[in-house]
Amino acid sequence: MIEVRNLSKHFSHEGRRIAALDDVSLQVAAGEIYGIIGRSGAGKSTLIRCLNLLERPDSGTVKLGEQELTALPEGELQLRRQRIGMVFQHFNLLRSRTVAGNVRFPLELAGGLTPAQMDARVDELLQLVGLADHKEKRPSQLSGGQKQRVGIARALANHPDLLLCDEATSALDPETTDSILALLADINRQLNLTIVLITHDMRVIRQLCDHVSVMDHGKVVEKGSVLDVFLQPQHAVTRSLLAETGFGQGERVDAWRARIGVPLLKLTFVGEPTLSPVLDKVGRETGLRVNLLSGTLSEIRDTPCGQLLVGVVASDVELPALPEIFAREGVRCEVLA
Amino acid sequence: MSGFDPSLLLTVDWPEIGTATLDTLTMLGVSLLFTIVFGLPLGVLLYISAPGQLRARPRLYAVMSFLVNVLRSLPFVILLIVLIPLTLLLVGTSIGVAGAIVPLVVGAIPFFGRLVENVLREVDRGVIEASQSMGAKLPQIVFKVLLPEAMPGLIGAATVTAVALVGYTAMSGVIGGGGLGDLAIRYGYQRFQTEVMIVTVALLLVLVQALQSAGDALVRRCRFG
Repeated sequence: MIEVRNLSKHFSHEGRRIAALDDVSLQVAAGEIYGIIGRSGAGKSTLIRCLNLLERPDSGTVKLGEQELTALPEGELQLRRQRIGMVFQHFNLLRSRTVAGNVRFPLELAGGLTPAQMDARVDELLQLVGLADHKEKRPSQLSGGQKQRVGIARALANHPDLLLCDEATSALDPETTDSILALLADINRQLNLTIVLITHDMRVIRQLCDHVSVMDHGKVVEKGSVLDVFLQPQHAVTRSLLAETGFGQGERVDAWRARIGVPLLKLTFVGEPTLSPVLDKVGRETGLRVNLLSGTLSEIRDTPCGQLLVGVVASDVELPALPEIFAREGVRCEVLA
Repeated sequence: MSGFDPSLLLTVDWPEIGTATLDTLTMLGVSLLFTIVFGLPLGVLLYISAPGQLRARPRLYAVMSFLVNVLRSLPFVILLIVLIPLTLLLVGTSIGVAGAIVPLVVGAIPFFGRLVENVLREVDRGVIEASQSMGAKLPQIVFKVLLPEAMPGLIGAATVTAVALVGYTAMSGVIGGGGLGDLAIRYGYQRFQTEVMIVTVALLLVLVQALQSAGDALVRRCRFG
């Protein structure tokens, strides 16, 4: 669906050249939700703006399907953009228009519909985002979550095949964030719409995304399926972004080892084993007794999964035999002796 | 001017005051109309051509900006005289109400244009970016986003310009432009008829107040939500 190749973009700031994007490449499959995460200043905002060329890269190409966006003349690019929806952190609604007027706006830009058809489409979209009762209100009369729903309805108006979300939930409280994420997941399923989102919040990635790229200083430092990145993070930046979620906390191992002085096991559960009494079962079979040190059990998108760090207090079998025993139960075990 | 006798107000030539009021209103109305017709596009052009804006043309912007500054720095009295040949060419006379309108418009266009430019700069960049992301063309951005979003500010700018024009009309007496200001200068100042001065100044005050209130009411009506 999207193929980004060797994208670079520099800004000059007070005479210095700063790389906002440094040779970034990534692929997004049709129908998936792709997350790009990084701290502020990592370049993710520039990257998503390069996907619809609101920002022109210095070099590199962006392909959408078979069409090379970066090679399109301005007029054709404007036409193509009508079918790339974009949702913004600060909503960016027209204050001079009502809710219905805002959703109608992209239809007016595209042309080709009669006023009655536009009205019908607006009603349909407001129904979809649950704002049918607020049609005639002004944006200033809406809550943040409602404003973002208008933003989403507006972005969907011209039947886009790609939806870009620029920190769409960063200005919202946690509860509203959940409802907006649920709406996006719904839209992704219902319309089979490809979504690319940027965020600094790992929760958003965990709840919504299939694949993720982690950005730091204009580079993609890690990418992969969300499960892999959460459970086996490779890069320090990823681990630090994961800190608040409880996943992937490898660097704490040394601290634990020093403190309790016994061998440690890192157990990773994905799917069914997460919900089974695996530790208990293995304990009975092998006399393994463990001391639970840290861990998290959660869901990534809809897959239950978890990661536990345990200290081995006693075991009837040799430690190197444990990974295989756990593997039989579908649990990945690493011995950190 | 010592000791003003209120009974002198009875001796004021009211029909002449009436004519002068009408002249002022005519000059104001016609010149405000032309100022908006020419000044609004000028302001939009200044805004979109400024460096870093939608259609950045730094050199064109620099030239326009310089001309605007030149016209704004000329005292209006000088402009009145400098423009006499142009006025003759455009309206066939350089005196009276008709003769005053050309310099009024020429003086007010750069003033209003600059105000429009500043008002447009206050429009949220994010909203413009959003419309670009939806594939809006430049004319669509101007007419569907910039102008509607800036409407309260634009009405405010028109109000300030109208009040400034009232001040300019007073000076147009220099070229026999007529109107209340002219009356105030000729009778009140040059002939020491304080009563005429008081009446005209009061009328001008009422006019300015009325313009400001009307402008404020319009802004309130179209403020969003």
